Amino acid sequence: MSANTGLLVGCAFWFLAKGSCWAAAEELGHQRTEVVKPPIASVSLAAPQFSNVAAPQDPPGGGLSLFLRNGCGACHTIRGTDAHGTIGPDLSHLGSRTAIGAGILPNTEEAIARFIARPDLLKPGVKMPAFDMLPQIEIRMIARYLKALQ
Amino acid sequence: MRGSRADPGAKPSSAAAEEDDVVRVANQPIMIRLKHVVFGAVGLPVVILLGAWIGFFNVGASSGHWKVTAWFLQLAMRSAVRTYALAVDAPKTLDSRGLPAAAGHFARGCAICHGEPGELRSPAVMRMLPQPPDLALTVGDWTDAQLFRIVKHGIRFTGMPAWPARDRDDEVWAMVAFLRELPKLDANGFRELALDGSQPTAPAALADCTRCHGGNGEGRGGLVPALAGQKEAYLLASLQAYARGDRTSGFMALPVTGVDPSDLAALARHFAALPPSPVDPDRASAEVIGRGRQIAEAGIPERNVPACSGCHIGSDKNPLYPRLDGQHAAYLERQLKLFRSETRGGTRFWRIMATAAQRLTDDDITAVSAFFSKRSEAPQ
Ligand code: HEC
Ligand code: HEC
Ligand code: HEC
Ligand code: HEC
Repeated sequence: MSANTGLLVGCAFWFLAKGSCWAAAEELGHQRTEVVKPPIASVSLAAPQFSNVAAPQDPPGGGLSLFLRNGCGACHTIRGTDAHGTIGPDLSHLGSRTAIGAGILPNTEEAIARFIARPDLLKPGVKMPAFDMLPQIEIRMIARYLKALQ
Repeated sequence: MRGSRADPGAKPSSAAAEEDDVVRVANQPIMIRLKHVVFGAVGLPVVILLGAWIGFFNVGASSGHWKVTAWFLQLAMRSAVRTYALAVDAPKTLDSRGLPAAAGHFARGCAICHGEPGELRSPAVMRMLPQPPDLALTVGDWTDAQLFRIVKHGIRFTGMPAWPARDRDDEVWAMVAFLRELPKLDANGFRELALDGSQPTAPAALADCTRCHGGNGEGRGGLVPALAGQKEAYLLASLQAYARGDRTSGFMALPVTGVDPSDLAALARHFAALPPSPVDPDRASAEVIGRGRQIAEAGIPERNVPACSGCHIGSDKNPLYPRLDGQHAAYLERQLKLFRSETRGGTRFWRIMATAAQRLTDDDITAVSAFFSKRSEAPQ
């Protein structure tokens, strides 16, 4: 009998305390979820969904048109094209450099592609945004085009 | 208390015995009170829990609260709102540009419970406990900050919901501005503000959109975007972003929930095909617009602001990069500030735009928004 009462009393207190914990946790949880930002992973997973829309109807020299179409020209200059940006380095002769990313990566097509997709991983604090939401094949085409700029 | 008069040492013995009795009698109630306290602390929760478990408490709403419960709940609600509203920073004047969107949201999201001018409410709602008040009659009781608190957070245990998007205080303020207008509106005034005389022939989903975006997709009021002539892929991806919660807006959360994905595609196609609507009458000075053009075409290199034209001007750009030409300046400003504070998500490209907006000052934003809202698609 007394054990039962004890159990009930315990339950009662647990119930009351738990209630207010919930209230507090709810408030905290709300604060934490205040800014809803899609994680990068899900962003890149969604990529194929639109590739038909974003797919290039490009001339054979598709690298340049992809470069311009995705706005790289807002920050980079390639002489003789519509890319006149000045925030990032001039890429007119990228292919002839010995290294890229201010010297941290070898100048290969593979490394250029990796840099375009996630510059923040290769160089923390970088001012260039990641372009890993672009289809891999488009990044490859841009990298091939840039590597060929002598 | 009588027991306190007992002072055995100072009295004759017979009197002392009498006093002794008095003390004993006086002490007894105290003993019983202690027992009460113990019983209260341990027993009462048990009894209440037992009562609840047996099903003793009537949770039916038909008979209303006891007077004392109703009084207590009102007191607790009003005091909590008053106290929490102290932390709210209210603007001196409420911005009226968001009224059409707020009215449109009210018609679908609030009127079902609170009623709208000239409409009788469903009897089912009138039997809710507590009954949702007719806001035209009660908003006068609250300050702006208190209304903000109520609309943003809702009221627990009453059915009054919180704002559907948690990081959009700007939208909550628009709703507060509308609540201030509400008492002045009759049925016609409300319908005009909230429904834009929606065409009855339009399919239901589209009629819902035109309440705020207008029959021609022109966007009603400065803060609802024009959709006419926007890129189809961008419109669709934005609708999907709202539906997934990747882009938060209380105004857009309701219209996209429950809409079939194929209907979203049809809506995007519909608005993209409409001819762009005429631009806002220009209020910005030529000097401001000139500065805006400078930012749009060359960026601000010394502050690492890229040229907007690299992504937003020209028909050969990525179909997920929106057109800005002819968009309402107030809307562009609002979006740029949201990007700058990283509270605007969007399509899978939103981070690029957040980077571009990071170092814009308020003046830059005003200028560049004025420039784009005046620009039309034809190359200049
Ligand atoms: C918001 C401006 C911005 C945009 C948009 C941008 N970049 Fe960059 N990019 C930069 C900056 C800044 C750097 C320099 C990074 C560093 O080394 O710190 C850079 C560096 C690079 C480099 C390495 C160059 C070198 O000299 O080592 C490549 C390659 C590159 N960007 C390609 C691209 C491509 C391709 C795109 C479009 C998909 C693009 N960038 C879009 C700002 C930008
Ligand atoms: C599901 C029904 C419901 C919906 C939908 C609803 N409310 Fe309420 N609201 C209530 C109830 C019930 C109360 C009364 C709470 C109380 O008296 O404690 C209330 C109270 C309020 C109050 C305080 C009024 C007062 O004087 O006590 C405001 C302001 C308010 N609601 C605004 C809104 C707005 C704005 C919306 C739409 C965004 C909305 N409500 C949607 C049920 C609802
Ligand atoms: C209650 C008013 C309201 C209704 C109803 C409404 N909208 Fe909106 N819509 C807005 C507001 C306000 C915004 C801007 C939201 C923001 O800040 O993100 C917006 C944004 C949008 C955008 C993003 C535009 C851009 O340039 O980024 C699209 C697309 C859109 N609405 C389509 C629709 C469609 C389709 C419907 C009908 C299913 C609809 N809206 C119904 C108010 C409304
Ligand atoms: C590197 C490409 C890029 C550059 C440069 C850029 N933007 Fe954007 N912008 C975007 C993308 C991508 C979006 C769409 C974001 C989303 O909703 O996912 C966007 C969206 C916007 C929007 C929201 C439009 C709407 O309908 O909601 C505004 C406003 C805007 N940009 C203004 C600017 C301004 C002003 C500049 C120049 C200072 C600029 N952008 C530079 C890529 C860019």
